[in-house]
Amino acid sequence: MTAGIVRPSLRRSLHRSLRGVSLAFLLAAVAAAAGCPKPSSAPTATGEGGAPAPLAGAKPIRIAMIAKSSTNPVFLSARRGAETAAKDLSGRTGVPIEIMWLTPPQEDGQIQAQRVAQAVNEGANAILISCSDAGKVTGAINDAVARGVPVMTFDSDAAQSKRFSYYGVDDRQLGEDVMEELAKLLGGKGRVAILAGNQNAPNLRRRVEGVKAEAAKHHGIQIIGTFYHAETPQDAAAEVIRVNNAYPDIKGWAMVGGWALFTKTLLTDLDPKKVKLVAVDALPTELPYVEKGLAPVLLAQSSYLWGNVGVTKIIDKIFYKKDVPEIVSMDPVRVTSESLGTWSRQLRQWGFADVPEEYLKLK
Amino acid sequence: MTVTDSRMTPAEAPRARRLSPVVRNLLRSQQFGLVGVITVLLIALSVLAGSHIDQATGATVNNFLNSHTLIQTATDASFVAIMAVGATIVIISGGIDLSVGAVYALAGVAMGLTLRVAAPGGGAGAVVLALVVCVAVGVAAGALNGVMVVGLRVHPFIITLGTMWILRGIAFVASKAESISLPESLTRFAKSPLGLGAALYPVPMLWMLVVSVLGAVYLQKTVMGRHVFALGGNAEASRFSGLRLGRIQIGVYVLAGLTAGLAAFLGSGFYGSVSCGDATGYELYVIASAVVGGARLSGGRGSAINAMLGAVLIVLIRQSIRTLHLDQNYEWIIIGCAIVIAVVLDQASARFAARRLAQGEESS
Repeated sequence: MTAGIVRPSLRRSLHRSLRGVSLAFLLAAVAAAAGCPKPSSAPTATGEGGAPAPLAGAKPIRIAMIAKSSTNPVFLSARRGAETAAKDLSGRTGVPIEIMWLTPPQEDGQIQAQRVAQAVNEGANAILISCSDAGKVTGAINDAVARGVPVMTFDSDAAQSKRFSYYGVDDRQLGEDVMEELAKLLGGKGRVAILAGNQNAPNLRRRVEGVKAEAAKHHGIQIIGTFYHAETPQDAAAEVIRVNNAYPDIKGWAMVGGWALFTKTLLTDLDPKKVKLVAVDALPTELPYVEKGLAPVLLAQSSYLWGNVGVTKIIDKIFYKKDVPEIVSMDPVRVTSESLGTWSRQLRQWGFADVPEEYLKLK
Repeated sequence: MTVTDSRMTPAEAPRARRLSPVVRNLLRSQQFGLVGVITVLLIALSVLAGSHIDQATGATVNNFLNSHTLIQTATDASFVAIMAVGATIVIISGGIDLSVGAVYALAGVAMGLTLRVAAPGGGAGAVVLALVVCVAVGVAAGALNGVMVVGLRVHPFIITLGTMWILRGIAFVASKAESISLPESLTRFAKSPLGLGAALYPVPMLWMLVVSVLGAVYLQKTVMGRHVFALGGNAEASRFSGLRLGRIQIGVYVLAGLTAGLAAFLGSGFYGSVSCGDATGYELYVIASAVVGGARLSGGRGSAINAMLGAVLIVLIRQSIRTLHLDQNYEWIIIGCAIVIAVVLDQASARFAARRLAQGEESS
């Protein structure tokens, strides 16, 4: 009812209600402040591994890290790599290096642009970002650079921005490699589907272009379609199952990201004798697909190194004043049943606790 | 003139007489509680935020209480707040609009594609054209929602759930899932510093204030606004009073589409590109802002200014999690708890008020 026809007692009650609502918010905010743990992302090094501890009172270097999504395991490993590099470099430089983890929970270029501005406002000394939508963050990156904060991109670039360097794979080449491996597995013939993740991500689009370009070189390969999905393991696996049911004669999947293999469902839903997968990424949860022969080849991006090398290059730039190349290339690692043991041990060394023990024992 | 409320308790009356009318009106205003909480949060964040050395000037700057962060926070809230004003009008009428995020995306994509063809070089004409396209698409989408709700007599939740997917799908097909860059002139407009200095962009904030005030005037000072309250308060009584309910319903969805189109114009211009995935999930933030602002989902109650304050409060809570360097994984939990607590308290209070009203009528 309109304010004019509400009785005074009811109106008073409504006002009390609004104040109650406000109080609830205040309580929630206070609860947040009191109850939420501080993030464990400020590894002001303590001199582990024989490295000297940072100088007491030295002004810390704060690096804001903005990956695409904090629910994607590859970015969590990138964070681990960044934090390890920060710890090591704190010891070496004598200056505390902190990682500000500002990754949004879901992919959203607009939120990333807001986080870039926030990082600058809160005094970050540099920013390391993987762009969900290059167009959305380019303006924010340029603003940050204009305000004296250098920006480096990793995994997914914003090539038109004023970032000083990009670290990652050549996405088009990676797409070509995926298709080349799949074509070899299929003997150069068969119907193939492409699993492509978020349709707005520029790096994934380039990988898909690479897959198609390589497929065109194999006359026996027929691409039935490119399938996009929300970048969660369940959505990806569900999309694969849906497409497989619709096209029972699919012989292979070219996956430009490993989302679907973060679930175990395809191990039972797909028959390795009928279908072969080649996917980008090779995190611990994906390794059983190699062992079972469903994905005989995985092309791993060393996601740990996104953070580790990214932080190292930033420190080279802002602390040691070294020149950093505009493009720092990452070569994908080919993971097969032969290299499963080596790769598993590498993952464990990078801090992945969930690597299956039996793989660690392999040669 | 000092007026004492006849329903005050004997203990309250002398206390109320001591307060000046201005203070009393202030305390009784709908916005008092929200503004109070926002003020307390602002003060708490300013005290607890810490400081840093500015890279450019070398000066010590509070991590929260600085012009960049404050305007950035208002900017972050502005796109949701503008949509929340329209969504609040729908909610007051007893409806719901889940499609505002999709309308935002479609308006943005339509604008990007139109500018690519008609004004690739930019200029002032591109800004005007962009505004016209966004508003036109927003109004058309809103009208579609309204006509379907009235014509098909299906609950608006279902209709707008359907159009949410349809409109985003159209944006997807039309854009071919590309991210479309916008002319520089549009970004210059949305990021105009208006003399405040480099990297200070108050334009979205000013639009948010203007849209909120216009929404408040529409709801409180116009006959059409009163009709919206009447429809949401009691649709049957409104029908018997001779109100043309279908026309009012279509009108509120048009206004929701209009505000989504305006938000798309500003947001897309500000960030410099558009894609079909823009504003995904924002409808929930928009509805949350309206509810936190006191809008009742069953209709009949709500305020444009409060919806704006609700959006600001939600953004401020998100900002506080980062400013205080708390684990941001708790963001959804905190916002979810705050909304549930707010609505539960609100409903409990409404039930309490209804009981008191009934008791008062019995005793009189």
